[in-house]
Amino acid sequence: MTAPTSPPESEAIKASIFQRLHPQVYLERFISENVRPDGRAFDAWRDISVNVGSISTADGSALVRLGDTTIVCGVKAEIADPELDRPEAGFLVPNLDLPAICSPKFKPGPPTEEAQVLSDRLNDALTASGIISPASLVIHPGKAVWVLYVDATCINYDGNAFDATLIAMVAALKNTRLPKTTFDEDSGRTTCSRQDKQPLKIAREPLSMSFGLFDSAHILSDPTSFEEPLMDTTISVIMDERGHLISVSQLGLLGESGPVDTLQHCITAAQTRREKLKAQPPFVA
Amino acid sequence: MASNFDRRRINGPEESFVPVYDDDEGTQLDRWTAGEPRPGRSSGDIRPIFLQPGLINQANGSAYIETERTKIACAVYGPRQSKNTSYSEKGRLNVEVKFAPFSCKRRRAPMRDAEDRSVAVAIHQAIVSSVRLELLPKSTIDVFLTIIENDGIEGCIAAGSIAASTALADAGIDMIGLVVSCSGALAGKELWLDPTREETEVSKGSLILSCMPALGTVTSVWQNGQMKTQEVLDCMDLCQERCIDIHSVVAQALLDNAKAQ
Repeated sequence: MTAPTSPPESEAIKASIFQRLHPQVYLERFISENVRPDGRAFDAWRDISVNVGSISTADGSALVRLGDTTIVCGVKAEIADPELDRPEAGFLVPNLDLPAICSPKFKPGPPTEEAQVLSDRLNDALTASGIISPASLVIHPGKAVWVLYVDATCINYDGNAFDATLIAMVAALKNTRLPKTTFDEDSGRTTCSRQDKQPLKIAREPLSMSFGLFDSAHILSDPTSFEEPLMDTTISVIMDERGHLISVSQLGLLGESGPVDTLQHCITAAQTRREKLKAQPPFVA
Repeated sequence: MASNFDRRRINGPEESFVPVYDDDEGTQLDRWTAGEPRPGRSSGDIRPIFLQPGLINQANGSAYIETERTKIACAVYGPRQSKNTSYSEKGRLNVEVKFAPFSCKRRRAPMRDAEDRSVAVAIHQAIVSSVRLELLPKSTIDVFLTIIENDGIEGCIAAGSIAASTALADAGIDMIGLVVSCSGALAGKELWLDPTREETEVSKGSLILSCMPALGTVTSVWQNGQMKTQEVLDCMDLCQERCIDIHSVVAQALLDNAKAQ
């Protein structure tokens, strides 16, 4: 026998059981009332907070919270020989880890498929935007270049990790200081100076804004971990600080409303969002 | 060196090296010689502890701990059904530790190395006797720790044990007492509590003590390096005394968090 619970409490338990057993219907009921389970409107975004430079063992770091999704990103700079066919190009190596700590969905072990796909998309986004020109990472042509390992770890996974991680990676790169180097041609050794450190030359700052399409008709911005698996389609719009498009990707079908309309709507919504964020550091244009 | 290539990750060049500096970092300990007092703080002082339970809302319980340059996040999942293990009368406590690649002086390539295992074993040892596993047959409790910044392995184990015990309490799992942990190092003739990485490097030996101050029992002792028996006993006394203070920090953090909800 379970103890009798007070009416509001038992209602809350009923609702959470219903949510777990019938997530699709649960979300449908909210959508029909024009609101989302967390109380947001369809086009509302979660708050972003960015904290940089708190990790002393990294050359640059950032902690980003997008609603409850939390990402820590650290940049480690090392020195390597360049590729033979690209003597004047440094390396930018972004990776995202989704460890078991961040959600009950993930198990300990090698990177999950989701982590692999996200890392690949992040690499594409950073490369496509040309955030740092590979030539600016050269220490001595053909002999020595910088390798920037941009490692992000998810601490709490509440959906839309792609947007949050891209913000964290860009903020960590902006926070990175590289030491001044001297290359000794005879010994082939590079020495660095701790006193003289310079920030990286950031060419463009990509910002991603993602949307989920529910039931082929409703566009939900910045989906949570509950909403994400119920979306038919995910659309990500990546823009730079001037509002120019860098990449638009759509994973899944586009519904009756017509593909052009839906994409157009997302791009316009992303532009509005980009403009609004300019008032908040570190997104200031 | 084995090839670093891993097709499940974005790969960099085959080999890369840590930058070599022509000037040294210049810490306070460079000029320190045995016999001098501890630079920076007095020998019995520990670093201030920031402890916040309940930051990871996806988990059943969680805690974030920060003691200056040691930063650790911990989450507890469970008790949940044990997977593909034979029937057991008692529950299983599983502790996994992961170092973030940027958490140490040298980048940690995301391959499993031996250090995270030994830290996990030490934390498991410290907390396992406090959890009432006999109440949870056929179940597993998963305790996951991510080390965001590492300032000495002693500090990691001590702070990790505190975070794990706090997260277990936050998850509402039955325990006989809160476990807190404190480390000490023998430098010259002095015992320095809660040493940093640099301080452990100049010390002769170190010790980590975990205990339940509410019950006055010790759950785990780890000693490393050269120390005389009397020095070990003195160090244990000092650590246990300090653990009483740490215990009140943990209890206060849990109380504040419970009130806020």
